[in-house]
Amino acid sequence: MAGKGGTGKSTVTAAVALLAAQAGKRVLAVDVDAKGDLARALGSKGVGFMPQVVQPGISAMALQAEESFQEYLNIYFKVPRVARLTPLARVFDFIATGVPGPRDMLVVGKIAYEERRRDRTGRPAWDFIVVDSAASGHVVSHLAAARAMLSLVRSGVIRSQVQWIDELVRDDRRCTVALCALPEEMPVTEAIELHGRLRDEAGVSVAACVLNRMVTTTVSPAQRRLAQLLCSDAHIEAVRRRLGGDPEPLPDSLELTRRLHERGMEFSRQLRAGLPVPVVPVPLDTASRSGLAMARAVAAALDVEAA
Amino acid sequence: MTTGAERGRGGRAEGSHREWPGYEMGARLASLRVVVCCGSGGVGKTTVSAALAMSIAASQDARVLVLTVDPAKRLATALGVTMSGAEPVTLSRARLRRAGLPARGRVVAATLDMKSAWDQMIERVAPDRRTAERILKNPFYQRISDAFVGSHEYAAMEMLYELHEAGEYDCIVIDTPPSRNALDFLEAPSRLTDYVGAKLLSWLAGPSGFGLRAMNLAATPFLRMADRLLGGEVLRDVSDFVRQLQSLYGGVQKRARDVYRLLRSPEVGFVVVTTLEPGPFNEAEYFAAKLREYSMPLRAIVVNRVLPESLRDPAGAAAATTLADDPRIVEWINTEVGGTFSADTVRSVGRTHLMMHALAQRDARQLTRLERLADVPISRIPLFTDDVSELEGLVRIAGLL
Repeated sequence: MAGKGGTGKSTVTAAVALLAAQAGKRVLAVDVDAKGDLARALGSKGVGFMPQVVQPGISAMALQAEESFQEYLNIYFKVPRVARLTPLARVFDFIATGVPGPRDMLVVGKIAYEERRRDRTGRPAWDFIVVDSAASGHVVSHLAAARAMLSLVRSGVIRSQVQWIDELVRDDRRCTVALCALPEEMPVTEAIELHGRLRDEAGVSVAACVLNRMVTTTVSPAQRRLAQLLCSDAHIEAVRRRLGGDPEPLPDSLELTRRLHERGMEFSRQLRAGLPVPVVPVPLDTASRSGLAMARAVAAALDVEAA
Repeated sequence: MTTGAERGRGGRAEGSHREWPGYEMGARLASLRVVVCCGSGGVGKTTVSAALAMSIAASQDARVLVLTVDPAKRLATALGVTMSGAEPVTLSRARLRRAGLPARGRVVAATLDMKSAWDQMIERVAPDRRTAERILKNPFYQRISDAFVGSHEYAAMEMLYELHEAGEYDCIVIDTPPSRNALDFLEAPSRLTDYVGAKLLSWLAGPSGFGLRAMNLAATPFLRMADRLLGGEVLRDVSDFVRQLQSLYGGVQKRARDVYRLLRSPEVGFVVVTTLEPGPFNEAEYFAAKLREYSMPLRAIVVNRVLPESLRDPAGAAAATTLADDPRIVEWINTEVGGTFSADTVRSVGRTHLMMHALAQRDARQLTRLERLADVPISRIPLFTDDVSELEGLVRIAGLL
């Protein structure tokens, strides 16, 4: 899942994980930003680097460059894991941030490693891995890291490691990106730009774009007329008695809904015109919940759309 | 002619003073020299920063700079600014008044050019011109100034410090760059000091070998890996860069300390901008706590995109529930109120309102949490269904602050 911050990426990622688990898959949910939003959306207080079960069929983990690096050293260079390697990690951090590749490589490398991992019986450890990726720009460098690295490294064990990661990332039957957007100016612009960059710079396929917080049903003139009529001076007292409440907030409520719907449709059109992939709306009413309840509501909405 | 018309409008603005909102937020922040707006991406921080600047300009005769980062196209149009790094745009008193702001001061809008902020800093702290040039040309520097976590935030703080020192503006409102972790920019000065000052880096820079023994175990495979991954050339660039950077150490450290001191001075105030969505909201909470920890004064919270309060009314929800659930209500409406409404129309009216009510309830819960968070004024900006695309729109928001 990729898209601008604040578009509800973590919740949509959690929803996709829930749907996959419902379909009987053993799911790994990975949080790249490690802000904890994904764990919360899956009903957990927080997760660490080691995958842990958060829902039936779903394990979650938070990627951390330092631990990823330690694990890498441990697996490929037999360096024992140390509780605190902080000074080394700092130096690594310094170099890694200045050179294209290594840090991004660790992110995508760890995920690729999990894709390849087998259990004792030789069965893949996971059937399905869903990643709550970093903000827009970063996800491109993550996915393009292997490709960039191949141009740097000509031979040796690392080249072959990077090669299979690159193959995985570019194989659209094994790896794809879903974008996440909102019916607002910046998120729509960013989703369209991101699609182009993912294709051109990383060679990754994009499967769909989730358009979150959409008012999916329109407000008809008859509905607005009814709301007005219920509040008219001639009827309001009788209406109050019969409805057991006050109809006065209704006209404003419908007007706001109508405008949100209109605006949503406009951005939806922009998105559809700019993206050659299906645009999947998620209704706004999911946003009244939070955490796992919201993720479940989004999952139900996605399920309906998929059907 | 034009001047006359402008004067006329300006006069009208002053004459009808009571019609204008109080611009309370602006008045409250007007004594500050620097206002830092923070919050997670996508909450409308840039819009709020611009509106804050207007609010301040409405409350006093001041020259207010709003320093934005990567504004949305429509907002940039509203402010009249173009691409990053371009010349600042002055919104004159007359222009602001035409847009409906009873301006006493002026607003200058500028977008921040990250890259040149870094280059300028290197030029400032380098011991001589040659060193500066070598660093600027180093490919490793070129990457790091762009890529490392907090670098944009640091560039923003650098720029802020420079502008503050130059004293050209009475107040500077800064819209911090969207960062994955809002804390990045608070830590930016110390992080940079860490990098430049890290004694550990000396083994990369020179043949002294100090510290190498202690981390021999991990460092050797690390170097081997680095060499294999990156090739000798990259390591040479790194080594070269670190050696030059050491000559800047004193300068950079002093700058970082100065920036830090400025951020904690009473002249500076922080404003947290958020929406009531869970993601941005959690980040705002975290941010407020961190500001406390750093003794950096939080002055106000601005909550963007709040639903109208009328939607929360329980009596409204009760009426809507009857419309949505009572199967006999259609008949009653069509006979008693009059009309030929379909059952579907009646149900939909109820359901639509219940959806909006549920969202407004969520807002109310989050607002209560927010009030407990900090003892500062909380300003609510209602949800607008249009993006701000004209100066008038910003003025309207300024009035709501």
